Amino acid sequence: MIEVSGLVKRHGELEVLRGIDLAVSRGEVAVVVGPSGSGKSTFLRCLNGLERFQAGSVVVDGLPLDPSSADRRREAVLRQIRTRVGMVFQSFNLFPHRTVLQNVTEGPIHVLGLDRDEADRRAVALLERVGLREKIDARPSQLSGGQQQRVAIARALAMDPRAILFDEPTSALDPRMTAEVLSVMADLARDGQTMIVVTHAMSFARRVADVVHVFDHGVVVESGPPSAVLDNPRQEATRRFLTETLAA
Amino acid sequence: MEQPPSASPPPPAEAGSHRPPPLPSRALRRLILLPALLAAPPIGATPASADDALDHVRSTGRLSYGCDMEGGGPYAYIDPDNPGRLVGFEVELMDALAARLGVEAELSQGQWDQLLNVLDAGRVDAVVNGYELLPSRVRDYRASRPYYIYQLQLMVRDGSAIRSWDDLKAPKPGGGRWRVGVLGTSAAETFARENHEGTVEVRAYTGATDPMMQVLSGQLDATLQDLPASRFYGPQFPGLVSVGPPEGRGYYVIYVRPEDVAMAETLDRAINAVIADGTLEGIYRKYDVWTDAQEELASLDTARIADSYSELSREADRGWALIWKYRGYLLGAAGTTIVLSVASMPIAIVAGLLIALGRLYGPSFIRVPLSAYVELIRGTPLMLQLFVLFYLANLPPYVAGIAGLAINYSAYEAEIYRAGLQAIPAGQMEAAFALGMPRWLALRRVVIPQAVRIVIPPVTNDFIALFKDSSVCSVITIVELSKQYQILANSTGGVLEFALACAVLYLVMSLPLSWLSRWSERRLRGDDRSRATKRGAPE
Repeated sequence: MIEVSGLVKRHGELEVLRGIDLAVSRGEVAVVVGPSGSGKSTFLRCLNGLERFQAGSVVVDGLPLDPSSADRRREAVLRQIRTRVGMVFQSFNLFPHRTVLQNVTEGPIHVLGLDRDEADRRAVALLERVGLREKIDARPSQLSGGQQQRVAIARALAMDPRAILFDEPTSALDPRMTAEVLSVMADLARDGQTMIVVTHAMSFARRVADVVHVFDHGVVVESGPPSAVLDNPRQEATRRFLTETLAA
Repeated sequence: MEQPPSASPPPPAEAGSHRPPPLPSRALRRLILLPALLAAPPIGATPASADDALDHVRSTGRLSYGCDMEGGGPYAYIDPDNPGRLVGFEVELMDALAARLGVEAELSQGQWDQLLNVLDAGRVDAVVNGYELLPSRVRDYRASRPYYIYQLQLMVRDGSAIRSWDDLKAPKPGGGRWRVGVLGTSAAETFARENHEGTVEVRAYTGATDPMMQVLSGQLDATLQDLPASRFYGPQFPGLVSVGPPEGRGYYVIYVRPEDVAMAETLDRAINAVIADGTLEGIYRKYDVWTDAQEELASLDTARIADSYSELSREADRGWALIWKYRGYLLGAAGTTIVLSVASMPIAIVAGLLIALGRLYGPSFIRVPLSAYVELIRGTPLMLQLFVLFYLANLPPYVAGIAGLAINYSAYEAEIYRAGLQAIPAGQMEAAFALGMPRWLALRRVVIPQAVRIVIPPVTNDFIALFKDSSVCSVITIVELSKQYQILANSTGGVLEFALACAVLYLVMSLPLSWLSRWSERRLRGDDRSRATKRGAPE
């Protein structure tokens, strides 16, 4: 589904990603953990082209992204990738000038070309699924953070994505709201949704992840099932990270 | 946009000897025009005292008179051959009169339409600058006997079919109306507006030579000028010819304060003397302003003229009656103001948005010229831009007015929109991209609608500003509300009445804009629940 090899991303002199190799197969839940500044979010944003990269290749659902392709071609490929891969942001980024329902139907109507009734029907079903059926006419500003993030998940789902990228979806939330968002994500995982989740929520990683990737200083230092990586880390960097996380 | 140096308004001659008019009390006038008084140069006489100004003139040996050199030739101007010297037939007239009094005449420069207020303030002893004998002025000031009989002269392009003013009373061949240029608020403007059969479109200019240029360039069919001005400037425009007999008729007089009876009588005697001994004719012939009409100067029944003008000044309407009488003019001009604003603002808003988008998201070959455009337009005065469009691009007045306002304000709107667009968090664009939207769709559906909400208050603010800036269009001959105010106030003396009426009209027109703004803010902010419940209704 997603194959990344030799991905290098530089901000001027600073090398943020220093050769990432990583693959996610269909139906897999991949959780990316690691200390702040290790390049997790940047990695995620390279997958749908919100960040450009300098070397390596990214192939999403058979669509190749590489740093050398010309702008026009890159734009076309990116749009295809983005319609197939959803994204959920740390700060939700809902459209404040639209209702909850309109947030969810925006992509299907204007990008996929669905007719409004069909889009509305599906959006209502998705909002039902994330537990916000009664909020369809509310504005984002009238919702709690947890509710906003669940709308954002419904918005991503409305595109019928083959994969969803979660960029620290609960970092801006208190524990109770974190729990309600994680439970929605766990539901998605159970239904076989392909997901890449950048998170600090270790309990979620332990319960839901198929594979955990540990980032440190722009490289993947360790990958494997959560039981192996989180309980019996083989790398010093992983152990250090886990100790710091537990101490926090 | 440059004008020839001589293009400044020659003078004088305010409107309408035909309309009987009143002035508000001098105290009120002074109050309204306080800023002008404060700005007036403190040259010349000392403040008015209980004594007659004549005593003051005699004791100081100086007769100080208010005059505007900007008016130019042949009235009073700087000698082009000797820049240290003032010349002009009025300058020489005052020198001759002062000599009769045994004193020296001293010109005190002031803005032409404020000269009487300068007189009120006691800063000069007299006002002499092509000021006509008008009932509205006789009410509040003391006039000397006439020292000049002015007439109006029609000027056309050499070879034009127009041979006299009467030709303009016939319909223009090929439809439309004759376009006749005049100096704004002059007697020529009043005459031109009142003496035709709906066949003439009068365009009022800020200078006497501007309409002459426009006759040459074909924008105008003719120009009606004070005869002295046509004589003086005619040689600079060899392509123009004077046609038909002089039209209209009125008197230039010297005004003094009403209590300065002795001063007025002394001036009358002096004027009589310079007429009798031929000094005056000599001066007038020197400046080529002597006409056959001046033969009558000596034999005028000055007492009867003075009586009939004071009679007229007593009959004039005041207050509401005056406003009511001219309501058609006021409402028509208000309509013009609305047309100018309502036509130009939407263009400015759309252009401003496109400019802002180009500057923020366009390629660099677009960004640079757009930034230059904004700086250029924002950094130059609206009036100059209107002059360029009107005189250089030769656009018709309304086209130039609307285009000028739209261009000028587009630069400001562009900056407002740029701020609004930049205020939208980057995450909004990213969220739209993440849904697969191309850039333009993301801007249209996500970023612009939010930016528009932010900029509504400053844009409304600008709309109200534009609304009032539309008055600048009077410099390209459009008669909108503030121009109409000047015309009416000058011709009827209803300064206070019309100031109030126009202020009320401006307010009445701008208040709905504020309401509209608040309503749209509320609506766009999403407080309108009724719309939110109509699911899926397109926004």
